[in-house]
Amino acid sequence: MGKHHQNLLNNLEELRKSAGLTQQDLSESAEVSRKSINAIENGIYVPSTVLALKIAKTLGCKVEDIFKLPT
Amino acid sequence: MILKEMTYFKRFLIVFICGIMQIFYAAYLLLNLFGYSIDWHISNHDLFMFIPGILVFVGSGILTASYYLGDKKINNILYDEYTALRYYKIASIGYVLNGIGIFVLFSIQDWANWSFQNANNMIYQIAAFAWLIFGVLLTIFAIGDYKEYKNG
Repeated sequence: MGKHHQNLLNNLEELRKSAGLTQQDLSESAEVSRKSINAIENGIYVPSTVLALKIAKTLGCKVEDIFKLPT
Repeated sequence: MILKEMTYFKRFLIVFICGIMQIFYAAYLLLNLFGYSIDWHISNHDLFMFIPGILVFVGSGILTASYYLGDKKINNILYDEYTALRYYKIASIGYVLNGIGIFVLFSIQDWANWSFQNANNMIYQIAAFAWLIFGVLLTIFAIGDYKEYKNG
């Protein structure tokens, strides 16, 4: 797990890198700004459901693989 | 052209210039209203004071038009949910500060000798204060937004 938001743990950076994508590539497929991807990876921002689904679709995984609630 | 292809830089320029103009004019008006007039010699004073209003009107018009008429893919990125969240945060700070400011401006009025002139002045004070606050916040937003685009 990477850097976390207090309400949401995320694994985005790791999954993105293993998919061979840059933040720019991912932002273009998800149709958001690169800084949004950066903010999510750094736990600054919690994405909407739609954005989380778009990211998961681009990475070819489930939303639950990227984001987890803190236990 | 600017409507079809809005960029971070163009948006930064529009919002930053509008913000700076708002700060400049609102500060000038507030100083005047509180009797700390700067001795500037502006030949057509009243007309000159319309400039920020016109600029903000034109600037927001261009932004609105580019949002509705511009390239959808570019706009999805420029106006994504993270940017919207930052804007909402800045707007709510603005409302809070304006609320406090209006309360203070109400408190310092000379209610014992109330007149239409005083009422008129108070309206100008509130308007200038709101312009000043939102001018500062817009400028902060513009700089932060562009810095994040470049480095964030």
